[in-house]
Amino acid sequence: MSTIVEMKTLNKFYGSHHVLKNIDLSVARGEVVVVIGASGSGKSTLIRCVNGLEMYQNGSLLVDGYPMPVEEDRLLGGESELAAIRKGVGMVFQQFNLFPHKTVVENITIAPMRVHRKSKAEAEATALRLLDRVGLKAHAHKYPGQLSGGQQQRVAIARSLAMEPHLMLFDEPTSALDPEMIGEVLDVMRELAADGMTMMIVTHEMGFAREVADRIVYIDQGAILEVGKPDAFFDNPQNERARAFLARVLKH
Amino acid sequence: MIARSLKWSRHNLFAKPFDILLSLTVIPGVLWLIWQIAGWALTVAQWDIIPQSLRVLMIGIFPVDQVWRTWVAAMIIAALLGAALGCVFAFRGRHAGGLLLVVAVALILTGTNDLANILLVAALVVLFGLSWALISRVPAVRKGLVPASFVGLIAIFAVMAPPGAGLWGGLLLSILLTLVTAVVTLPIGILLAFGRRSRFSSVRWICTAYIEVMRSVPLIMVVYWIWILMPVLTPQLNLADVVRGMIGFTLFYSAYVAEYVRSGLQAVPRGQTEAARSLGMSEFDINRSIVLPQALRVVVPPLVGNVLDIFNTAPLVFIIGLTDFLRAGQMILANPQYGDRTYEVYSFLFLTYFLVGSLITFVARKLEKHLARGSR
Repeated sequence: MSTIVEMKTLNKFYGSHHVLKNIDLSVARGEVVVVIGASGSGKSTLIRCVNGLEMYQNGSLLVDGYPMPVEEDRLLGGESELAAIRKGVGMVFQQFNLFPHKTVVENITIAPMRVHRKSKAEAEATALRLLDRVGLKAHAHKYPGQLSGGQQQRVAIARSLAMEPHLMLFDEPTSALDPEMIGEVLDVMRELAADGMTMMIVTHEMGFAREVADRIVYIDQGAILEVGKPDAFFDNPQNERARAFLARVLKH
Repeated sequence: MIARSLKWSRHNLFAKPFDILLSLTVIPGVLWLIWQIAGWALTVAQWDIIPQSLRVLMIGIFPVDQVWRTWVAAMIIAALLGAALGCVFAFRGRHAGGLLLVVAVALILTGTNDLANILLVAALVVLFGLSWALISRVPAVRKGLVPASFVGLIAIFAVMAPPGAGLWGGLLLSILLTLVTAVVTLPIGILLAFGRRSRFSSVRWICTAYIEVMRSVPLIMVVYWIWILMPVLTPQLNLADVVRGMIGFTLFYSAYVAEYVRSGLQAVPRGQTEAARSLGMSEFDINRSIVLPQALRVVVPPLVGNVLDIFNTAPLVFIIGLTDFLRAGQMILANPQYGDRTYEVYSFLFLTYFLVGSLITFVARKLEKHLARGSR
């Protein structure tokens, strides 16, 4: 299997605060990697580095065959790889971040039309097919404000898929949802995983993580402490802090 | 009915001793004032001066045989204003009644009794309503509005120019100055606002410096500077005073528009930009299609308020020798024959400014409610 993401001794600082410490992690094509850890452990920052929403200061990061430039190079204008990487990497956010002034269909078609120069008809056909896939075809011409949180998040997933990404990043996709809506979003993600999409997921849904992940990455205070198969990780974590963390979150 | 109004007045006017005292002094005072003013307006005042000097008030010293040019300009202005309104407000049947009211007030206020003029005023308002209805019913036309307004302004200049730009004046000049400033400051202000957030420090510094300098000096200062500088900078162009005044206003108000737009840009959540970036969109596309539309929606009400500011400061162009609406009124009074009509003329000026101004604030307030309600 070829590698799609490769991080080598990646370090990130906010000023003097060391947020990510010597991260070594690679993700194979077709793999589903779930990143778990306590709030503030740096897991969101980690996956936001992958599509360049966060900059890192040293180490190396290879995404989809392109080297992601370090902060110094980006500030000096070396960002040509960034656009290429982003075309191939989709991202779903905690707060959905749909464009409120555009209809559902316009949300999905704008990037394919602007970035891939697709015709309107072609982009709309793709959009409707994707909306059908996430079960929202009937809502195509509504505005995001008229949809529930779960529906908005499914639109956000469809919007990312419209760019035909090679890798999908999910940053706590269900954390802002009411409990009864979490299931519908996780179902869509399950189907994506079953179709062979490469995914990096940050989530607090442990049951879902165990079911869908190929590998679990446990991160604490900016460092990866344990990487393992889901069953091995959840049943018998090796790391002391991972054990304590699981005891805390699985108690409920 | 009477019981209710009694109850209302007890709650609102005579609830506490201090309220009673206040009501007993203020209400009779106001009534007395209204009585005095109404008495003067209906019995003493000689209003015939308004219809007699209406042409000067409206268009200044523009030649009589060229008046058709000003009507054409007014028609274009009416169409543009209607179209602008249509972008944010859907035209409904009841609005037609409101427009009729405007015609009636305008005719009564000015004492117009000449059939041709009545028809022309009616045509103006009908044109306004038509373009309002057209734009609000057919959204596809909206994309052409910005280019259309620039073409419209150029057409106004073209049609008004032949007799000489030095002859422009009166209410028409005030409105033209406001319109040109409002339309031209918008793109400049947007560019300045984005420039102030640019990643390139040189662009950021230049834009910040421009905005801060303009906001730190009085409008008259800028207008006067441009007036004396333009002939030096562009001696071959020989720009008319009117144009120099418009340039001064535009340069000054661009800084204010930039600050309004910047506050709108700041109101757009970071997640919007991040989502668009993660989709691979270019920074230009993100700003144009995602950030700017959401930012402008927030700042439409303050921008409309800014238009009112422009209109109300327009009389300051007297400093460079232009005859705006207020100055036209003073010109009439300069005629010794009309020396005793000061109050009549100034009342008319006051009322007109008040009506136009309150119309703009009314629209701004409606807009604010309208935009707050619809999240689309």
